[in-house]
This record gives sequence, structure tokens and C-alpha cells, in this order.
Amino acid sequence: MSFDAPTIVQIILGAIALLSAMTVVLVREIMRMAIGLGVFLLSVAGLFLLYGASFLATSEVFVYVGGVLVLMLFAIMLVQRSDSGRAVLVSRHDIGSASVALGLFVMLTVALQGVSNRFTGSAPESSMQELSEVLMGGRLVQYEIAGLLLLVALVAVIVIAGGDER
Amino acid sequence: MIGVLVSVAVFCIGVYGVLTRRDIVGVLASIEVMLAGSMLALVAMASGADSVTGVRPLGQSIEAVVLLLMVIDAAEAAVGLALLVSVARRRGVTRIDELQEVKG
Amino acid sequence: MEWFIENAWLAVALPFLMAVPTWLLGQRAKWLAPVLAATGPLLLCLVGFTAIATHGDGSHAGASVSWIPGTIDISAGWMIDGLTAIMFAVVGVVALMVVVFSIGYMHGDKGWARYFMLLSLFTGSMSLLVAADSLLILFVGWELVGACSYLLIGFWFEKPSAAAAAVKAFLVTRIGDAGLLLGLALLWREVGSFRFADIFDAVAAMPGGTLTAVALLLFMGAAGKSAQFPLHIWLPDAMEGPTPVSALIHAATMVAAGVFLIARMWPVFEASQAALVVILAIGALTALASASIALVQRDIKKVLAYSTISQLGFMFAALGAGAWGIAMFHLVTHAAFKALLFLGSGSVIHGSGTQDMHKMGGLRRVMPITAATWILGAGALAGVPPLAGFFSKDEVLHAVWGASPVAGIALGLASLMTAFYITRATCLTFFGKYRGDGHPHESDYTMTVPLMVLGIGALGLGFTGHLVAEVLGTHAESLDPVTAVLSTMIALVGIGAAWWIYREDVTADQLLQTRAGRLWDAASGGYGADTVADRMVVRPVMVGARALYERFERTIVDGAVEGFGRGVSVVGRTLASLQNGDGQWYGAMLGASVVIMLAIVWSYDAINLWAVEVISWIGG
Repeated sequence: MSFDAPTIVQIILGAIALLSAMTVVLVREIMRMAIGLGVFLLSVAGLFLLYGASFLATSEVFVYVGGVLVLMLFAIMLVQRSDSGRAVLVSRHDIGSASVALGLFVMLTVALQGVSNRFTGSAPESSMQELSEVLMGGRLVQYEIAGLLLLVALVAVIVIAGGDER
Repeated sequence: MIGVLVSVAVFCIGVYGVLTRRDIVGVLASIEVMLAGSMLALVAMASGADSVTGVRPLGQSIEAVVLLLMVIDAAEAAVGLALLVSVARRRGVTRIDELQEVKG
Repeated sequence: MEWFIENAWLAVALPFLMAVPTWLLGQRAKWLAPVLAATGPLLLCLVGFTAIATHGDGSHAGASVSWIPGTIDISAGWMIDGLTAIMFAVVGVVALMVVVFSIGYMHGDKGWARYFMLLSLFTGSMSLLVAADSLLILFVGWELVGACSYLLIGFWFEKPSAAAAAVKAFLVTRIGDAGLLLGLALLWREVGSFRFADIFDAVAAMPGGTLTAVALLLFMGAAGKSAQFPLHIWLPDAMEGPTPVSALIHAATMVAAGVFLIARMWPVFEASQAALVVILAIGALTALASASIALVQRDIKKVLAYSTISQLGFMFAALGAGAWGIAMFHLVTHAAFKALLFLGSGSVIHGSGTQDMHKMGGLRRVMPITAATWILGAGALAGVPPLAGFFSKDEVLHAVWGASPVAGIALGLASLMTAFYITRATCLTFFGKYRGDGHPHESDYTMTVPLMVLGIGALGLGFTGHLVAEVLGTHAESLDPVTAVLSTMIALVGIGAAWWIYREDVTADQLLQTRAGRLWDAASGGYGADTVADRMVVRPVMVGARALYERFERTIVDGAVEGFGRGVSVVGRTLASLQNGDGQWYGAMLGASVVIMLAIVWSYDAINLWAVEVISWIGG
């Protein structure tokens, strides 16, 4: 294993991602969880950048940090009430869940290493132009369907959340 | 290949969170972690070239797929949070262990 | 017309196919049920008459497919020869008439669609039985007609007596079927094939003892189905079913299946003189005994039931005398006139609302068509020339007299009684004064038209003796003048005596009953055959069964079953606690299942592989 600069950055960003993910999962205070989620999403965006997917990294920051996380904070503030003092992590089956997660990790590692160790090295930076050609060319149908899905989700959110305001 | 390992680990941490967190917001956040893990796996694998042929078989279209995943994920998060708000308003409940309608 | 013969299997398949729409659509649209149920018999008639018309030379048509391939290759197929053609025609005509008759008779019954579905099923089963090209397929049809008979006897299953009669019929015929099944097994061991052609080829090489055993076992099945002594006890009880069913199944077709079986397997029986003697003896005994029982019955259907047993005895006696063609001829004529009599009794029961002949009388004035056709049938049964029964019965008597004078005398006596009892029934029903308290009326045209059609058969079928023999490929008997004169005299004496005794009133019954009390009672109870069967078979079986129930069932079987049940209950309660309504718990179990399944899939080599490779992978 050669410790060149990309590898070191990779390890550092991966460690941040793992630690922040654990924070999201384990922390009791709900605002800290939101902050952890933000750090996690940023580290993932950094990894995307490292792997040459600069557009995805930008999207990650825009959509998640700017969109989902803010939405989550709004939701937290909307429904925040007195039960915040109660433990959110006391679980009747955390040992079982931990073993499930661990088993899944082992299985996925076994499953993915066979595929992924065929690929080596880092690829050059992908260009925006190529991506847009893919999206507007061969994957146009999927792109349009995704747009439709967003529209449906928007309507659904209005109906669900605003239903009893009338 | 550290990226794939990290992505798998992140995914499993998300699974653990989904299974153990008692607050609905926490469960939704854990789902975000899981999905980020899966996206990371895709991008990490797409970044490498095939050791035999030297080409990137996954290429640009993986990035397009991940983009579509983000769209779906955003929609999921929006609907999930809307459900959370709705349930909290109607039943005064924000904890998942208080929702046990499917008890056998 | 050849098309009908080449595709005769359609006549077997169609009634089965029609049974389902008959049942499903017949509940919505009442008129549809008899129409659909009539299609099968119609096709059967077409095929049967075409085959009779074109296959007088006795040539065969048929096809066969491999049913159970392998080392024991069992084929399933159909064939149509003279015998099948005649049975097709008989079954088709009678079934068609019964379907038409039932429109009136079953009107307003709540089991309407079910009734016609069962008729359709029965028609299909019966044609399967007669069109089979192997003994195994014949056995399938044999059991199917038995099942249909069971369902139709117990058609009014709310009535306890009908349900009991259905069970009795099924169980008693089952005894005979057990014999038939053993005969099948024995034949399989000897021949290695169920196809008739293969069996007949192998007959010459089979040892005599085996042949006799096979023949007697097959006859056991035939005796059960055709209600021969001592397995006749189910048929009188079978009269609990609707009367048209009695006409179709328990007079014309199914009970004649035993005769058909022996005619079909004739080369086997021909080779065993001992079996033929047994058949002759049992046939003659049955004919005589049940004719005497019929003398004293009050129930009009019981008279006809015992009469049917008696006439089947005639047929078996003819078979035992070696004249299977004559037995088939009598089967044909009997099917016509006995179906006519049964449908006539159905019309009478429908019109007067009772089955007790003591409550009838004088019905000829209100039911002229029924009375006229009945008298035609009665004359045919009694053997009055030139009606159908006269010719066939004469040939039977002649053949049996030639084989065994004792049996011939017994049949002659039975003929005398036949003439007597049917005249008694006619007088009690249609002559004298009306003794009931209802308002009898003539049935409508759906019931009288079949009577008239069958009446034509009873009138004219006697002249088809040569045709039947030609189609069957047997030697045609010409009328023996001495037998003819003697049997006519016997018939006239019987009719005259009964007419003289019963022409005015029913009081003769009471008179005779007081004079010959014990004999009368014995005969009206069927000579205690039911009691004997009860003492010798039913009670020992019941005692044994009860003992088994108490010793074995209660402790071992029940213990096992209840223990199993308790175990399931405990496991179920444990598993139910898993369903705690916690979505995260479900998710955890889902994840665990995935892990466990993947672990099972990979456990052999992937773990090893992983242990070796994952290190180099991280390093790489």
C-alpha cells in the first residue's frame, strides 16, 4: 500500500465520514445529530470530489446540505416538544441490531470486493459536458421520470403536511 | 479501494441507526446515511479503471445514476419529514416506538 | 358420418366439459341447465347410432395414448366396437329422455343446477366406462359412475334416509369393487397389460385356475354393480334418489354395467366353465328370489327396484349359459321398458304425491298417457308378444334351458311372478277406485313425451334382435316356437291371475297377508337379507371398530395429534411474540435474514476466499 497524497486524503476523509456517521446514529441531542449529519454530508462530498465526480460533489452540497438538512432542521423545530429529554437511544435490541449491521458489513464486503478489486487507480476528472450528454441523451427517460417523481413528491408533501390546516 | 470499504461501513452504520434510533428524525437521518453510503460505493467503483481492459466501464452513466438517486433520496426525505410533521400534529408523537399499529 | 366414429372420444369428453357450465350457469339461467346437460346424451346418441349403422361388420375404431410411461407402460385410450356402439345408443337415449323428463319432475327443486350437473357427469362417466379400451380406464369409469350414483341417491341429503341409502349403496358396491380391483391386479400380474386386446391374446396361455379366479373376481365386481345376490341389498334403498335418476342409473345403465363388463371380458369368462356355472346359479337365484319379493311390495318404486334386480338376474343367467349376445339384447330391451316404467312411476308419484300403491288406484282416468305407456312397458316386462321383453326373454329362457333345465325352470317361475307382480302394480295404480286423498293430475308434456318415446322402444325393440346380434358379431338366435308358446302362456297366466285378484280393489293384499302371513312378511322384508348383512357384517365391523377406537384411537392417535397441536400452539405463541408491532424490530429481522441467507450461500468457499483475499485487497 503506497501512501501517496490522494490515498492519505482518502483515508482522512473516510475517517471523518465514519466518525460523523456514528455521531448521527449514536448521539442523543437532536441538534448535535443534525450537525453531525452536516459534517457527514460534507465529507461525502469531499470524497466525491476526490473520485473525480466534481458535479456530484456540488450537487451533494446543494441538495443535502442546502436542502435536506435545512428541511430536517425545520422539521425538528416544528415538532420539538417536551419529550426531548427522554432517551432516544435506549433500545431493547441494540445488541441484535449491532450484530445485524456487523453481519451485513461482512457480507457486503465479501460481495463487493470481488467486483471492485477489478478496478484500479483513479480516473481523470469527468467533464460536465459528458454528464449532461448522458443525462439528456441515453438517460433522458430516467431524467424525466425523476422530474415527475419530484413533482409527485412535492404534491404529496403538501397534502400530507398541510392536510389538516384547512 | 478504501472508498468502497468506507462506503460499506457507512451503510452498515446507517442500518444500525435505522434499527435502533427511537426518534423519527433520527431514523430519517440514518436513512440518509445509508443512501450516502450506497452512492459513495457507486462513485468509488466508477472512479477506477478496469485492471484488464484499462477502460472505465461504469463511466459517466454511474454519475447520472447517482444524480437520479439523489433526486429520489430528496423526494424520500421530503415525504418522510412531511409524514413526521403530520404524525406529530395529529397524534403528538415523534417517537417510532409509540407507533405500533402492526402488532401481531 | 364417419367423423362421429373417428372422434367418438368427444362423446366421452363433452358431458364432463358441460358439467361445469351446467352447474355455474344453471344457477343463473334455469332453462340453460337441462339444455347443456342434454348436449352430452345427444352426441352420445349420434355416435352410437352412427356406429351401429356403419359398424355392423364389427370393425373397430379407437386411439390410445401413453398415460403412465416408464417401465410399467400404462396406456389410456378409447375404442368403439359393436358393444360400445350399443351401449352408447342405450345410454344416450335413456339419458336424453331422463334429462327431458327431469325438467318437469325436478321443477322448483332448489338443487336444480346441481342435479343436471350430476346427470351430465354421470353420462360422461358411463360413456367412459363403455368406451374404455383397457380394463383400467373401464375401472375409472366404473368408480366414477359409482360416485355419481352415490351423489344422486343422496341428492336430497337433508333426508336422513336418503343419506343413509347413499352410503349403503356406496359401501355395498365397494365390496364388489374390491373384488374387481383384485381381479385387475391378478390380470396385471399374468398379462402385464390392461388393454383388452392384450388380455384376450393372453387368455389361451393362462392356467385354468387363474382364469377362474380372475373371472370370479371380475364377476364379484359385476355382481356388486348389478345388484346380484348377495350384494343386491343396496338397490331397493337406492330408490331414495329422484325417480328419473332411478330410471337412468338404477334401471337402465349403471346397474347394467356388470352385464357389460362380463360381455366385454367375454373371452376370459368363456374360458372358465366353473365361473359360468357360478354366474348362471347366482343369476337364476337372484331372478327368482327378487321376483318373489316384488310380489308383495306396496311402494311402487320398490316393486320396480326388485323387478330390476330380477331382470338383471335374467341377464346374468343368460351370460352364465354362454349367450352373451342374448344378455346384451335383453339389456337393450330392458333399458327401454324399465326406464319407461320408472319414468312412468315418476309421473305417477309426481301426479299423486305418494309412492304407496294402496293410496293410488283408478289413475288411468286422470293420467291417460302415463297409464297407456305404463301398460306398454308392463306388457313388455311381462313378456306379452309382440312387445320388446317377449323376444329377449324368450331367447334368455331358451338359452338357459339349454344350459341347465333347473335354472330354466327357475327363470320360468320368475317369469310367471314377473307377469303377476307387474299386473298387480298396474291394477293397484291405474285400475279400480281412487283410494288416496289428493287430486292426481296428468303430468305436463316434458314428462309425457319421454314416456311416449320410450314406449315406442318398448314396442319395437323386440324386432331388433338380429341387428343387435349382427352388430355384436354373435350368432343370431331365431325364435324357438316351443319356448315362445310356453312363455306366452306363462305371461298370460300370471297376468290373468293378478288381474282376477287385484282388478277391483286392494283388499286382496290384506287377505293374502293374513292367509300366508309369515311368507308374506318374509318376502316383503326381502327375506331378511338386510338383517343378515347387519348381523354378519355390519355389527362385527362396528364392534371391532369401536374396540379399535377405544384402544388405539383414543390413546395413541389422539395423543399424537393433540401433542402435535399443543406443540404447534406453543411454537405459535412464541413466534407471535416476535410480531410486536415494532417496525425497527421487523427491520432487524429482515436484515438478520439477509445475513443468514447470504451466510448459508457463501459458507462453503467464500469465507475461505475472503480470509485469504481481503488482506491482499486492502493492501492492493
